[in-house]
Amino acid sequence: MAITSTKNLKEFSTANDRFEGAHLLCPGCAHSMIVRELMNCTDDNLVIATNTGCLEVSTAVYPYTSWDTSWIHIGFENAATAAAGAEAMYKARKRKGTLKNPDAPVKFVAFGGDGSTYDIGFQWLSGAVERGHDFTYICLDNENYANTGGQRSSSTPIGANTTTAPAGRVSYGKKENKKDMMAIMAANGAHYVAQVAPNKWKNMAQAFQKALATEGPCYINAISACTTEWKFDSKDTIHVSDLATDSLVFPLYEIIDGHELNITYRPKNVIPVRDYLAAQGRFRHLFKPENEHVIEEWQKRVDANWERLQRREEARV
Amino acid sequence: MGIGNVLSNDKRGMIELGAEKKVGWDEVTHGMVLHSFEDDATNISSQKAEDRNYAQFNSYVATVASWRVVKPVYNRDICIDCQNCWVYCPDTSIISRDKQMLGIDYDHCKGCGVCVEVCPTNPKSLLMFAELHNLEDAIASWPEKKKKEEN
Amino acid sequence: MALKYELQEVEVWDGNYAASHALRQAQVDVVAAYPITPSTPVVENYGQFVADGYVDGEFVMVESEHAAMSGCVGAAASGGRVATATSSQGFALMVEVLYQASGMRLPIVLNLVNRALASPLNVRGDHSDMYLGRDAGWIMLDSFNAQETYDLNLCAFRIGEHRDVRLPVMVNQDGFITSHTAQNVRPLSDEDAYKFVGVYEPIDELLDFAKPVTYGAQTEEDWHFEHKARQHKALIDSRPVIENIFVEFEKLTGRKYNRVESYMMEDAEVAIVALGSTVESARVVAKYLRDNEGIKAGIVAPRVIRPFPFDAIRTALENCKAIGAMDRSAPGGALGMLFNEVSAAVYTTSSRPIVTNYIYGLGGRDLTLEQIKDIYRELKKNADAGEITTKIQQFVGLRGPKLEFFETRRG
Repeated sequence: MAITSTKNLKEFSTANDRFEGAHLLCPGCAHSMIVRELMNCTDDNLVIATNTGCLEVSTAVYPYTSWDTSWIHIGFENAATAAAGAEAMYKARKRKGTLKNPDAPVKFVAFGGDGSTYDIGFQWLSGAVERGHDFTYICLDNENYANTGGQRSSSTPIGANTTTAPAGRVSYGKKENKKDMMAIMAANGAHYVAQVAPNKWKNMAQAFQKALATEGPCYINAISACTTEWKFDSKDTIHVSDLATDSLVFPLYEIIDGHELNITYRPKNVIPVRDYLAAQGRFRHLFKPENEHVIEEWQKRVDANWERLQRREEARV
Repeated sequence: MGIGNVLSNDKRGMIELGAEKKVGWDEVTHGMVLHSFEDDATNISSQKAEDRNYAQFNSYVATVASWRVVKPVYNRDICIDCQNCWVYCPDTSIISRDKQMLGIDYDHCKGCGVCVEVCPTNPKSLLMFAELHNLEDAIASWPEKKKKEEN
Repeated sequence: MALKYELQEVEVWDGNYAASHALRQAQVDVVAAYPITPSTPVVENYGQFVADGYVDGEFVMVESEHAAMSGCVGAAASGGRVATATSSQGFALMVEVLYQASGMRLPIVLNLVNRALASPLNVRGDHSDMYLGRDAGWIMLDSFNAQETYDLNLCAFRIGEHRDVRLPVMVNQDGFITSHTAQNVRPLSDEDAYKFVGVYEPIDELLDFAKPVTYGAQTEEDWHFEHKARQHKALIDSRPVIENIFVEFEKLTGRKYNRVESYMMEDAEVAIVALGSTVESARVVAKYLRDNEGIKAGIVAPRVIRPFPFDAIRTALENCKAIGAMDRSAPGGALGMLFNEVSAAVYTTSSRPIVTNYIYGLGGRDLTLEQIKDIYRELKKNADAGEITTKIQQFVGLRGPKLEFFETRRG
């Protein structure tokens, strides 16, 4: 794989962008930070499949495309399978000698939001990973169906206010915990699994490069702070992402071959979960006295999860 | 601000979204596919934007400037070329060449303000101003360095 | 390199095996599929051909039919030959992606082995699944026996991949009656078959890195209509291409196909319009009635269901007096599809023959030769009376009180 140097930002900034402006994502959207970085961290040709969602409806609205690489969107649920089909065709044509650029390096990538990854496209993703296609699936996890106006998904965390799990006089919002896609994908047979966040650009670029260089299916869960539905100012996307990683609500770690867990970022100063929640309108109601218990329980859960991750890292199993 | 010179000959931001020619059914693309480039794009990842022959279908040729109500203004005198703004810009609107920040692509910038927030210099090398604010006036009114205790 | 498969001049194949051999001979690059009765052997056999080295392709056994067609779309957009097979519920699950395949103009070949749709669950043959797909923008061919399934599969690649067409193609065959009944089939040699189908010509492929392409863009009210119109035009305009390919196929094999097949229609007074293996039964009956009862009976069968042969069906039927449109699909609160479409076509002739609708064979129920005779006799009565003497829609072969609807106001 032709790797763009991510030694430092100055080196990295010599990459020539392959994700173009005048897409229609919201100002301050983290999706495009993540996508840009993926495309900038390699010089290889990319075949990118994308599920229906914010990214898709904002980057390929006829007669414009923001993609400088091959790109396909079929439906809400099947980007993993579109990438798998393309990869299968690549193998067949490579063997038969019918490719126009037989020696050009190529990587297959699929993007989906959390709605299409955790919910409607779960089966398609699981199948493609199980079959061992050589591709990297990247979930742009903004914890809700943002494209349709902020409905709950199985990635939405407990206590969040969404239009279909609304907080109200007698409800604190969503009652269920976020699904653990990292564990599921590791158990599903993904060769490399990582959770990344755009504020930690180098950590993210390294995970992308590892995934692209790994033969077989890889899964990246990319935290994508959503200015519109998490309800914070568009300028604060990186700030909110910092709070997410430094409160350990979104710990950054990788799982290699389903068992070797490595924590890839340890915050110097761990901040309280409360500070992360306070920065977003979707959790405002949790600060009422009757809902404070949700915040306390959340902190306990985060502490326990961090403990679990560290012990798994030590155990090397 | 230098950007115009670098990219003067390219097709960036020429079309207002929705203002493109609406052709008839007999002229729309086959299978509604969109090609990104006019020329051979085999080595596109080693070409800078101004050297590429973008197709009319590439959103690079369009502009979203009208989305903006506030805009970032760049002050070269303070910038340390750290490239924080480049890496975090969600709209591919920070123009960096050879590790140097050149300025802002106002055709694609939506005015989110992320670049200003992540700018580490003191005072910042990027600040938000009203969209209609004159650039020279903005530079002239740039704040002084803040003292440490104020941070 | 794929190994040559030695074939006899006459093989004994069922419809599924015939389809598999056509896929092998076309050297399909990718088959993405999911098993479902009665279509499963089509892809099982392809998988065996891959395992034995008789075809050099990728066999991707996915986790659902929706994924099967999704994989086919991803593969077809990547510039190679793609095929799959399904039936019934599996087809229903694929429907979303069928529309995407045709909208993107990807020449995928789908063997649809016709089977009833639940509920109630049923594995036997009827045309419910075929009817479900009729607005999906695909070219739809219909075979009446195993030989035709083989032949039409080879033609399907040629038609769909033609530069002026570039549309996906379904090849229908009746579940079990055609798919699982061993019959004599005369295959082409591997060389002749591949020469006929030709080398795949990629257009706008994801794997051409000199020309990056975006597939599956969003179009709203300012572009969607134009795209769908262009797609419809391509489908309607595929008619002469299909005819030319049928002519070429006849030169190669002596077997002649038409967009609309007509049997004994030269002087026919009454005609049955039907699809699938029923066409063969009706031919036996028509011959019998001509010989024994003096009824000038004929059969008209759309070989090409989409693009609907509005022109050819009109020509085939305009000189007869009474027509029975035979629909093997639960009509869901309407007249049957064949009735509606055939009626619309003949309404634009000056003769305007009388058309009635027979619903039959749902869930694999046999349609007996006796029942077909009765239908012809009713049509004869209509022809003689110059008006519809029965209800317009009747259910045939159904237990219980006679089920029939609507009366004519033409008489």
